[in-house]
Amino acid sequence: MATTTKIGLEIHCQLTGAKSKLFCRCSSDYRGKAPNANICPICAGLPGTLPLLNQKTVEFAAMITLALGCKFPDDIAFYRKNYFYPDLPKNFQLTQYNAYSITSIGVDGKLEYGNGKDARIRRVQLEEDPGRLVYASGSMDTSVYVLIDYNRAGMPLVEIVTEPDFADPKDVRMFLDKITSIIEHLGVCDTKLEGSVRCDANVSIDGGNKVEIKNISSFADVEKALRYEITRQRTMASREIQVRSETRHWDDARKVTKESRTKEEEQDYRYFPEPDIPMVLLGSEFVSFILQSMPELPDTRKERFMSKYGLSAHIAQVLIGNKELADFFESTLMIYLSPKEIANWIVTDLMSFVDERQKKEEDKQHLLFAGLKVGPEHIADLARLVDQETINRATAKQILGQIVRTGEMPSALAKKMHASRIDDASVLAQAVQSVFQMEQAAVHDARRNSNVANFLLGKVMKITKGTADPKIALEMIQKKLKED
Amino acid sequence: MPLPLYTLEAGQVVEGIKNREFSAEEYISQLLGRIEKVEPKVNAFVTLNKEEGLNRARMLDKKIRDGEQSGPLAGVALSIKDNICTKGMKTTCASKMLESYIPAYDATVIKRLMSAGAIIIGKANLDEFAMGSTTEFSRHGPTRNPWDISRVSGGSSGGSAASVAALECTASLGSDTGGSVRCPASFCSVVGLKPTYGLVSRFGLVSYANSLEQIGPVGRTVSDVVSILNVIAGSDENDHTTINSNKPTYSLQERKGLRAGLVMEFTEGADPGVSKMIYNAADTLEKQGCKCEEVSLPSVQYALASYYTIATAEASSNLARYDNIRYGFDMNPEGYEWNSYFAKARSNFGEEAKRRIIVGSYVLSSGYYGKYYLKAHQVRSLLKHEMETLFKRYDVLIGPTMPILPFKIGERIDDPLKMYLVDIDTVVANLTGMPAISVPAGFADGLPVGLQIMADQFAEQTMLDIAYLFEQAAKVQRSPEL
Amino acid sequence: MVVTREEVKHLGWLAKLEMSDAELQRYTAQIEEIISYLNMLDTIPLEQVKPIAMKKKFSELRKDAPENFEDAVLGTRYRKDGFVKGPRMV
Repeated sequence: MATTTKIGLEIHCQLTGAKSKLFCRCSSDYRGKAPNANICPICAGLPGTLPLLNQKTVEFAAMITLALGCKFPDDIAFYRKNYFYPDLPKNFQLTQYNAYSITSIGVDGKLEYGNGKDARIRRVQLEEDPGRLVYASGSMDTSVYVLIDYNRAGMPLVEIVTEPDFADPKDVRMFLDKITSIIEHLGVCDTKLEGSVRCDANVSIDGGNKVEIKNISSFADVEKALRYEITRQRTMASREIQVRSETRHWDDARKVTKESRTKEEEQDYRYFPEPDIPMVLLGSEFVSFILQSMPELPDTRKERFMSKYGLSAHIAQVLIGNKELADFFESTLMIYLSPKEIANWIVTDLMSFVDERQKKEEDKQHLLFAGLKVGPEHIADLARLVDQETINRATAKQILGQIVRTGEMPSALAKKMHASRIDDASVLAQAVQSVFQMEQAAVHDARRNSNVANFLLGKVMKITKGTADPKIALEMIQKKLKED
Repeated sequence: MPLPLYTLEAGQVVEGIKNREFSAEEYISQLLGRIEKVEPKVNAFVTLNKEEGLNRARMLDKKIRDGEQSGPLAGVALSIKDNICTKGMKTTCASKMLESYIPAYDATVIKRLMSAGAIIIGKANLDEFAMGSTTEFSRHGPTRNPWDISRVSGGSSGGSAASVAALECTASLGSDTGGSVRCPASFCSVVGLKPTYGLVSRFGLVSYANSLEQIGPVGRTVSDVVSILNVIAGSDENDHTTINSNKPTYSLQERKGLRAGLVMEFTEGADPGVSKMIYNAADTLEKQGCKCEEVSLPSVQYALASYYTIATAEASSNLARYDNIRYGFDMNPEGYEWNSYFAKARSNFGEEAKRRIIVGSYVLSSGYYGKYYLKAHQVRSLLKHEMETLFKRYDVLIGPTMPILPFKIGERIDDPLKMYLVDIDTVVANLTGMPAISVPAGFADGLPVGLQIMADQFAEQTMLDIAYLFEQAAKVQRSPEL
Repeated sequence: MVVTREEVKHLGWLAKLEMSDAELQRYTAQIEEIISYLNMLDTIPLEQVKPIAMKKKFSELRKDAPENFEDAVLGTRYRKDGFVKGPRMV
């Protein structure tokens, strides 16, 4: 029985690319610092302090807005979302809000994310992160007091909200990969940092009630959470139980969505514009400035790779799928310009050495090539050696296999191998000589029938225990056959 | 016998100390003596800064002896309203919620005043979190009017005005959200000024209603108020609502030929004793070459509703941070669930604060935004347009600062709405962001009456011109016998 | 009834203000009076009037240069290993 599924997303991206927090001068590099060592009167919500909007964060949010095809309003404003919670220093969150008039940085966009599919972007907005609660006994339920760390409070976040345009968790996965690629190319967020990107989702099936899923800790878990929830809803539907409109929490340990604690009374955020932050004028000059100064988007880069370097769509797509790959590729080109060669070496051969684990999103903590000792200069060198026919492709692959461990330059290694090959040549000559002596009948036949040379080759290979280069050995055999 | 040092104006103090007619230490000591004598009657201070005040005086004296440069306010003793943050000095906002709060930073205005050589002699009493018009909503008891200690001093900067009138300091710094500098200035027969919104930094002013309030000086003369304004005015990178412009300087000048509009709605709504004094003031101005005509500002009728909507809405949010977790008073969080802890801690707000938080939450609640908050803002635009139209024909608008004379302590305390109505003349300036000053106009039944002068945005100089002109002509007594 | 006792109680919950029954009684009457007064705003035909707003240019915003605040910020003595101790969550 076919069901229609509607999935919408709410993505939060920390602007770790900014050097300070959203409304104060505290460093944005709070990870790993002692609790409450990265705070100031403003982000701690001390009386008499005023928010000071960070110019860079507006710039970054604007780049994301453009990348997602959204429109800008003439000016932007900030609103207070009023509610109490121990991780909120002011007991309100500074955010953006469009219910009264459009004042968030971006609205009404669209993003194509692959296989000809696209999703509409409802809005893009700036807001601040709250502090962090820690439970002494490890769980919220059993701790007799809570421990609060305000280091994260005031960190800049960009929230991206989509329309419920996704019908399949696989599509969501593709979309999130695309978002990651965009964010990395723009340099606004280091997605490898823990908690720097989070995603909440909402699901409904067959026009039923919408369920929000919160507390999904990484992009990788979104697909899992969605599959679980969709199954849960389908099961209920098959039993003719109505799905309630609610918010559920993703339990990472048990891999299930759980009902949230029952709320006693209805929350009311009483939004109103933040009086301490005047509206910020954008205008056409601002938009031009952003367009001019923003880094190249992955799609633009892909187009450029295809048109300028003649790469295939598939290869280009793989390169831009991870900014590190694309950057590595272009750095290599700067040393030696052989785009198709180099692209192949990177995408096919080099990637095969990358730890399988690292390729999967779960371990996106480290750089792709972290374990390998090669840089652009190595690949450039390798490509040049092959182009100049100094070595053949098979040897090149061999060399690559070795230098990823040693970091040696390919040309240095090739020289060593060539030298040893000369030694090998005399060993080979001896082997051929021995075979000619032992197989005189075959040698006689080979002079009349060239195919028999292969029999002799087989013998040479046997004697040299397979280490001989067959091409060279055959050449030697044929030469010798002509001589005598 | 020479007059005591504590009767000197700011300019005289600075000159006297610079010329070594007397030392700063002598001056501060005399003030402290005066404070000891009259404080039991007035109750203007929450905290006194005796040790530090004397130390700073001694340091200034040394500077003078060594021939070093001293600032434009060197030796001037200021009382600072206790909702303005002073680093290392308790700042309580007259609330239990900030009982033991010691700020980690100085307000920008404090930094500027200290650089100019001023000495902070103490923190002045106020209505809790600046919400009130009589300083009766303070947990330190009401500040009494030095002219009649059975009566209110006005509010919320009652401590500021009373300390100036009672000669307990040279001048003072208050804050004005709906009249809180001008009201007590009027009731205590001193000068109080509310600058144009955005002229003076609010960094370090504990927020009550951020879109309405400004820090303002209180002094015995227009000259003193100008001296302080010149030091504190100017843009501040720590307050994005300050206007980006060159640092302004104001002077004292007697300009003739200015035109004043006497706002009918204000005079008609005032007690007869008060309006009589205002008409006298208009006569005085005319004799000085100023043209006075009656004008109308019809939207005044909506002003109070607009003010109390916006002020309570902003207050309900500004006061949310007082949950006693990061600062406040000593109450161990262990043993409580967080909702209970917050509610229990916050039960320590005073009555008026609680009321305003509830009203503010109400007007902002779901579905009411258009009905109250948005409408209130539209009233602001309406008033602004009406005033700007008038300012095309008149240089200033005048009227009584308060519609009534200072009343007995306790008289209006059980009737919140009745209390709110006294703000009718003052809220207009806050709603429109325009500057306003109250200067002593004389006495009715032995009680002070203040003349309010309002000008267009950033037209402080014009406003001060008329204020100075009037002051010199009217020569109203500035301090009572205590 | 412009404002009911229940509404005031709910607003008290939203604002985390604990009120005794006596307080609730007294405040409800006073708040009702105040809201009735504020209701006059509803009668003004102001749809055409645009609220005035102060605006800032993008160039006037704070530059992204981090600064460490050196002095102690927090004023509570209830701390543990640098964390602020707060009441339990459930």
